[in-house]
Amino acid sequence: MKNSNSAPHKIIAPALAVRLRSAITLLAVIALATLPILDFPLRSYWVRVIGYAGLYIILGLGLNVVVGFAGLLDLGYVAFYAIGAYTFGLLAGGHFNIHLSFWLILPIAALLAALAGILLGLPVLRMRGDYLAIVTLGFGEIIRLLATNLIGLTNGSQGLYKLDSPSLFGFELKSGTHFYYTIFLLLLVIIFFTYRLDRSRIGRAWIAIREDEDVAQMMGVNTTFYKLLAFAIGATIGGLGGSVFAAWQGSIFPDNFNLFVSINVLCLIIIGGMGSIPGVIIGAFALIALPDILREFANYRLLLFGLLLVIMMIARPEGFIPSRRRQLELHAEDVNETDQPPRKKVEKA
Amino acid sequence: MEINLTTLIEQTINGITVGSFYALIALGYTMVYGVLKMINFAHSEVFMMGSYTGLFMLNYLTRSGVYERAPLPAIILTFIAGMLGSAVTGVTLERLAYRPLRRAARLAPLISAIGASIFLQEFVRLLPAMGEAITGISIGGISIVPKSVQTMVVGTLASFGGAYPKAYPGILNIGGFTIGEVYIAYGRVLVIATSLAMMAFLYILVKYTRLGKAMRAVSEDKDTAALMGVNVNRVIAQTFLIGSALAGIAGVLAGMYYLQIKTSMGFIPGIKAFTAAVLGGIGNIPGAMLGGYILGLAEAIGVQFLPAVYKDVVAFSLLILTLVFKPTGLLGGTVTGRRM
Repeated sequence: MKNSNSAPHKIIAPALAVRLRSAITLLAVIALATLPILDFPLRSYWVRVIGYAGLYIILGLGLNVVVGFAGLLDLGYVAFYAIGAYTFGLLAGGHFNIHLSFWLILPIAALLAALAGILLGLPVLRMRGDYLAIVTLGFGEIIRLLATNLIGLTNGSQGLYKLDSPSLFGFELKSGTHFYYTIFLLLLVIIFFTYRLDRSRIGRAWIAIREDEDVAQMMGVNTTFYKLLAFAIGATIGGLGGSVFAAWQGSIFPDNFNLFVSINVLCLIIIGGMGSIPGVIIGAFALIALPDILREFANYRLLLFGLLLVIMMIARPEGFIPSRRRQLELHAEDVNETDQPPRKKVEKA
Repeated sequence: MEINLTTLIEQTINGITVGSFYALIALGYTMVYGVLKMINFAHSEVFMMGSYTGLFMLNYLTRSGVYERAPLPAIILTFIAGMLGSAVTGVTLERLAYRPLRRAARLAPLISAIGASIFLQEFVRLLPAMGEAITGISIGGISIVPKSVQTMVVGTLASFGGAYPKAYPGILNIGGFTIGEVYIAYGRVLVIATSLAMMAFLYILVKYTRLGKAMRAVSEDKDTAALMGVNVNRVIAQTFLIGSALAGIAGVLAGMYYLQIKTSMGFIPGIKAFTAAVLGGIGNIPGAMLGGYILGLAEAIGVQFLPAVYKDVVAFSLLILTLVFKPTGLLGGTVTGRRM
């Protein structure tokens, strides 16, 4: 009796859950796509806030490739964002009087950021965990310091301003709505791209490296190549985000690229769930859009961030929407503990 | 640019002074790394807390007139307050943010430490605001806390923390002496002497005392140490206590030397001290000192040839170069297995 009831239930429940999830996803995509067209109070404010969250989702997805997929803790991710932004700032503004098209600059920025990613990746190939974190943090700071001090190239702390507005077949992109859609489309492409990556041979190689580098190497994974690839792809996405940011703002300053951008992006990945694409999206909304809406608490935002990180690590290190594999990995060590009571079986995400 | 011998010697002394700060902070990093094999990312905030607590004490002693009547005991009390402030922060940090994660995956304690670091900075910055918000709670228009009490609480909290940088009395600014053409401030001598004394103290502690032996045992293998009767939790807490107290001394000294403190003051010295610890060989006490001095000197000499703003770039580059070419540091032994 019990069996006959539970057996079909088991089959139907996941199918229902999947259908429900895709329905919710579809609804959310439609809602986000139509948002700027609808007319409601404070429309331009919401478009700006959600567009900004979208930018952070792009960054989050990029860093997720490095931290979530390949398990390389990068605290200097802002460097690539800065490189992308300055590429646009220098090639589409009055500073050198170069006015290239936005669509031409995007691949250039992506390429430069990828090169920087490989440049950072090469010396840190042998490092792990906390060493990697500190070196990448140093790298991020070096890029910011260079942006502040190479006055001839970057105009120093005065920043670059009056940048060109991108145009698409003669149609000028300048309002918040235009950039909302630019970010939205770029985001869809990147989500698709990283989703496919995660499920590819490359993605599996990254997971192998993340779980155990030595074993991965023994199994024939070219760890050097795949680690550099993770840095390069992460950097490319960061560079693209930077260019879009610069085009949207129309001006950039070295202070836009401080350590807190890196930390924000890292936080949103961790809170959403490392290695999980829906997690990054939820994390970005929770961390970027929410504090903007709850303005009274803006002052306490970083305080809560810090507290949340500690609590998260102790209570739920896998994040709100964990990737299944990551969840198992983070709780695997508990299983080995003999002096602890056996943990409740991890539920399927 | 003209560089004569006097400038060079003065810059060397300057470099060693700055290096002494790095070394004092680096000792804390190295000790914690030694026993836990983790980087205490929030150590720079432990340093900051020491500076703030010291200033709070010093201001109190100045206001109550103790400082004027007995300057030396007042200064000693200031240092003790700074050490206490840092030690309490460090031990609390270990208990709440690191101990629950001791067996967790490697990234977890690091991220927890970053979180704790942000939290501490913001906590000190927002202290007066939080005090005002909490004491200002009212039910039905009647405030629970009387206005006078609120003013007092907020005032006290504001004299401890707050968003604005705080001025530190320039107690170390007590003149100096000259050898030939070289001017040496007493303040610098004090900073250098303190760092040397602390290193000697630590070295003896780790090498010759019972606690030191326990620390080395925990560093080697926690489980075996526990089987041998070492109270691992207590040893780790004591390590945090000592390392943090050293950071507290550095914090008070830094305040007196640089005359201004702010909540983000720990970040750059923290990174530099970490660089120093790595440069000398992390986990190695004389190495941390050596690393600190080398880094301080490299910066002081470096800015003779480069614009001063590149000081930090020099330090970060040195860190990356060390990790690439000699990851075990100058005095570090051969690392068996992969610890990095």
